[in-house]
Amino acid sequence: MPLIRKSSTSPLPLLSGKDDVLRALFEGHAEERWAAARAAGGVAGGVKALGAALCLERDVRVREAILTSLTRMASPDAVEAVLPMMRAEIAAWRTGAIDALRAMQQAAWPYLPQLLADPDADVRLLACEIARTLPGEKATALLCGLIEGESEANVCASAIEVLAEVGTAEALPALERCAARFQGTRFLEFSIKVTGERIRSQTAGLA
Amino acid sequence: MSEFTAITEEEFRRLCEFIYRRTGMVFTEAKRYYIERRLVERMSIAGSVSFASYFTRLRTDVDREIERLINAVTVNETYFYREDYQLRCMTNDLLADRLKHKARGETIRIWSVPCSTGEEPFSIAIWLLENWRLVDQYDIEIVGSDIDTTVMEKAHAGVFGKRALMRLTDDLVRRYFEPQGAEIWKIIEELRESVLFTPVNIVDPVETRQHGRFDIIFCRNVLIYFDDASRRVAAENLYENLMPGGFICLGHTESMSRISPLFSVRRFTDAIVYQKATGGPA
Amino acid sequence: MSDRKMRVMVVDDAALVRLFYRETLGKAGFIVDEALNGLEALEKVLSEAPDLLIVDVNMPQMDGITFIKTLRRQEPPMAGIPVLIASTEAGPQDFAAAREAGANFYLVKPIDPDRLLAFAAMMCGVAA
Repeated sequence: MPLIRKSSTSPLPLLSGKDDVLRALFEGHAEERWAAARAAGGVAGGVKALGAALCLERDVRVREAILTSLTRMASPDAVEAVLPMMRAEIAAWRTGAIDALRAMQQAAWPYLPQLLADPDADVRLLACEIARTLPGEKATALLCGLIEGESEANVCASAIEVLAEVGTAEALPALERCAARFQGTRFLEFSIKVTGERIRSQTAGLA
Repeated sequence: MSEFTAITEEEFRRLCEFIYRRTGMVFTEAKRYYIERRLVERMSIAGSVSFASYFTRLRTDVDREIERLINAVTVNETYFYREDYQLRCMTNDLLADRLKHKARGETIRIWSVPCSTGEEPFSIAIWLLENWRLVDQYDIEIVGSDIDTTVMEKAHAGVFGKRALMRLTDDLVRRYFEPQGAEIWKIIEELRESVLFTPVNIVDPVETRQHGRFDIIFCRNVLIYFDDASRRVAAENLYENLMPGGFICLGHTESMSRISPLFSVRRFTDAIVYQKATGGPA
Repeated sequence: MSDRKMRVMVVDDAALVRLFYRETLGKAGFIVDEALNGLEALEKVLSEAPDLLIVDVNMPQMDGITFIKTLRRQEPPMAGIPVLIASTEAGPQDFAAAREAGANFYLVKPIDPDRLLAFAAMMCGVAA
């Protein structure tokens, strides 16, 4: 019978020890940096180190591991380590940061109001995604506040995208005003129509 | 039980988009009636009086509602030779590829996780004995693991009913199982003893590391239940548990590509599988 | 004109954008497949074999430019699938980067449906 059964097997080696982990995070080759990124959450000074590594690391897989470690921590420090990446030059770095911030849920919420008021339209656009995890009423209030004063069509589109999932009836007046301001921008007219229909249909259901 | 109107077109779309983003599963218009019926059941059980309140419950995953909804809309019955196209891929392509990188006499290690009540790891064993022409030339170690120790105990007991065996020929049942009474069979002792069953939480690297490295991992229909962060950690853990060049097979509605950039996609005749890079330190 | 329906794969992480593509292109007779990031799209291209790809730039896991470069390195026919980039960015360096990566056309968001249809028809080789 070629099938065999072993009662035990040698476990995989584990990178540990603060100095080893932090050194590997910056100086190791890609696989070592990857393992170190996974382990860094568990050593003192790990968050700061992960934040620093995030500014430098070019390997996609190591970046993912860094962001996953920070996401799991979901602390204010972890959020602040990720926030600067919203302004990164490389598109994938920006969107990777948003994925992580959205996944950190409550930890990221306090930062939303200032992000939605950021002078940089790209930051405002990205920040809308973070509102997706908020309770419907809060998300609606924040995103409608953004829309009312927003001149960039794509930022509005980003906010409306999230409202399509989480928006409440309170959003309807702001959406109507937005449609009027952006009359002729057909994608926005479409988004607002669909989002409005979704919100209206849910409140028309059985109470 | 109160009566519900069917959900609106927009509500259905909203649900589908959420499920797609969260799990990768695509619900199409064609399946709408099927899904609506099960959705209404879930709404009733959950005590939601409107789709809006149910959707809030779903979005915030109250009481693991996402898992419950997925279970309600998927066929998650386990049986021998389920999704056998992957077993075929294993004997047609994956093992040949692995052998190129293995020394003579080196054991082939295969992991079935989650193994549930054992149909999958025992299927792998029987399939190899029946279909791999090199099976007598190598030592093969099959490990079955699950987070649920109750189902694992059942797996270890190796007793199955008629439905579990429905895709096996009478000949296979005769050779690999012993009747235990009315429509109950027990897998033969030789096979039962040859699979190691262990508990594991695949989101916990401390637990997954205990298992060493594998040539092939079958991890079917469990990642869809996780949230994004847990799913990414599980993918990282499973990556560590593969030998360089090793393969991981997911359920047919799942895609590792949307979960993690760690693996390369390999398209074989029978299946799409995911591979860890060869070469370099592991 | 071919009897076969043209297949378009749209790659964007925004559900409403994908819905917009699906409705606009669907009404015009295209079959529309979807993916929400570049990695998923690469995998789906293997099985769906689209005639045209419409790709967002700002996506997680793999951005649109990296996706096109990766696609162009594959075997034909996958490598030769026409790609239309849809992006919020409208600077000359963005157009240049897209062209260098191997994109065939560039549309600036918010997308105008008439331009979308005109480009899609042209790139699929059918009358608009």
